Amino acid sequence: MSDLMQTLAASASGMKAQAARLRHVSENIANADTPGYRRKTTPFETMVEAGRTTGMVRAGNVQLDKSELPSVFDPGHPMADESGHYQGSNVDMVIEIADAREAQRSYEANLKMFDQARQMSTSLLDLLRR
Amino acid sequence: MDIHSSLAAEQYAATRPITAPKPVSDGQGAEIDFAKFATEFANTLQNSENVAKAAMTGDADPHALVQALAQTELAIETAVTVRDKVVEAYQEILRMPV
Repeated sequence: MSDLMQTLAASASGMKAQAARLRHVSENIANADTPGYRRKTTPFETMVEAGRTTGMVRAGNVQLDKSELPSVFDPGHPMADESGHYQGSNVDMVIEIADAREAQRSYEANLKMFDQARQMSTSLLDLLRR
Repeated sequence: MDIHSSLAAEQYAATRPITAPKPVSDGQGAEIDFAKFATEFANTLQNSENVAKAAMTGDADPHALVQALAQTELAIETAVTVRDKVVEAYQEILRMPV
């Protein structure tokens, strides 16, 4: 496989990984009010094929944010203890929005690389056509 | 007739897919290279077809589909450009005044 084809494959893997990351961010935001929910973080890892790194990336297994869950005071809540507190989720909207924006920018960067590789291949073929 | 149907089956088996190259056993260097290129081209097309089918049924993600289609587009453009060049060279020879 030529270098440009490998560029296409690497960019596509990057876009796929960023899409997985955005999915986890959306799951975090959807569960922002779920009691006891721990936010998911997406680790990225280089793909290894037959013992050799391929340069492609993928989203690894989900990890949970182990930081302490905030104690929310709401005596009327069904899960509240004797003191009227229950454990909320440790999702911070600002962090999630920043993460989503980062995923978007990274996706755009991969998209640009994909387009660049395609344009370079097409220009090379145009040279042959003259 | 039973014999006719078996003959037809043999004929079908003998007919290779149109994109598949002939097996090269004792060819020259360039022949082997071209056979390799043709095999890769056929594999790219086959892969793209499989991915497109899988994407239609929801088994493959859109990124894989886009990548496969882009690869196929480039492979076909390469093949068409090379073919055009070869035909052009042939016509050039035909036009040569003898």
